Amino acid sequence: MRGIIQLQIGQFLLIYLLLLVVLGVMRLCRIDQTRLLVVSSMKMTVQLIVAGLILTYIFEHPHPLFVVAYLGAMTGFSIHRVLGKNKDLNPRFRLVTGVSIALAGLCVLAYFVAAVVGESLFNPQYVIPVGGMVMGNTMTGVSLGVKTFRESLHDQRSKIEALVCVGASAEDILLPFVRQALETAMLPTLNSMVGMGIVSLPGMMTGQILAGTLPMTSILYQIAIMVAICTAVTCACFGTLYFGSKTLYDKKRQILQL
Amino acid sequence: MERIHTTSRLHFQDFLHYPDIAVEAGTFAFVTGRSGAGKSTYLRLLNGSIPADPGCMFFRGLPLEEYQILPYRRQVLLVPQAVYLIQGTILDNFHFYYDARRQTRVEEERAAEFLRLCCLDFPVDTPCDTLSGGERQRVFLAIFLSLATDVVLLDEPTAALDEATARQVLDNIKEYCKQQELTALCVCHSPKLVELFADQVIVVGGEI
Repeated sequence: MRGIIQLQIGQFLLIYLLLLVVLGVMRLCRIDQTRLLVVSSMKMTVQLIVAGLILTYIFEHPHPLFVVAYLGAMTGFSIHRVLGKNKDLNPRFRLVTGVSIALAGLCVLAYFVAAVVGESLFNPQYVIPVGGMVMGNTMTGVSLGVKTFRESLHDQRSKIEALVCVGASAEDILLPFVRQALETAMLPTLNSMVGMGIVSLPGMMTGQILAGTLPMTSILYQIAIMVAICTAVTCACFGTLYFGSKTLYDKKRQILQL
Repeated sequence: MERIHTTSRLHFQDFLHYPDIAVEAGTFAFVTGRSGAGKSTYLRLLNGSIPADPGCMFFRGLPLEEYQILPYRRQVLLVPQAVYLIQGTILDNFHFYYDARRQTRVEEERAAEFLRLCCLDFPVDTPCDTLSGGERQRVFLAIFLSLATDVVLLDEPTAALDEATARQVLDNIKEYCKQQELTALCVCHSPKLVELFADQVIVVGGEI
């Protein structure tokens, strides 16, 4: 095994030629998303260059404050994205969502880095990439969970009304919706574990192998990160939906505000 | 006769204002008024599933706020307009609502009695998805009636029924309410049915 080949800028630019193929197919099928393709590949390039520069700086001048700031920004962005997609949540639900994402993501990350890897919590080489994977997946999971929860509440208004009228408590009425949304949010993560290693080698493992890590080491990391992601997604969704659902009614009047 | 329910300057937000209403125990009352006058809203205010301002609504002499809401809602039972039935048999649906109240499940014979009350001649193990709209509405009504203990609020219970069936169902319900000493408030759009069955007519939102 040897370390990874450094990409030369000139050769690297060749990869962008492939986008012309994508563009060609889009033209052919009249998919009117040329702008999106250009914008998204440009945004990706710029954002990753910035991330690369920042990470280079942080790795050369490791300081706990940088790690904390990076994690903070990552967490803040995840929360912002989830809330941005669900604009009409009430303020308490928003707070619950933010706290759940931050708490679940950061606790799982800390456990991964400190207990499983045995590294310092402020070692940017571990904390930042692992944090990114955990937070990114948590964001997607919670987004999906909240979306499912709200859509099913909306679709089943007559069920909710009938149960309110019959004298069921708001908690009893909402719990099945929480359960169902949590299940929907967890499924993609669980399903991705099923196919792992058969068709595709997952991203983190691929990266490590390219960088020259022994396959047996990289699979251990991959397994660990999958379990970590699954835990973070489950806990963050549970917190968001369970405690969030309690912000939809007041106990005394039992009036649901969906 | 005891006044079971009165209102005083009842309103909902700024756009619905109600006349002062008084209903005596054991009455079979009808609520009428043009569309959008707030008939359904009135029933929801009365069972506490939307909030009324304190001091506007009274039940058996006490302001509504003084009641514990869940037992109160069971006592003043609203049968909503939108029918909701789960997949499964008629009996499964009885169980669904009894379970939602954490109440002992109904016996088959009693369920069948309420189906007959609503002019449904089906065995209790009939799957609900084979039923027509009007039949589903009556299954829904039968379940709720079987749960009624004191006051029952009916929001257009006969909307999906032809006139003859509607008349028969209302006749049975009125008879049942009398037997069980239930008070009923019923929203209905048919002047004919109102004329036939009303002990009292409550007009909301001005004259029709």
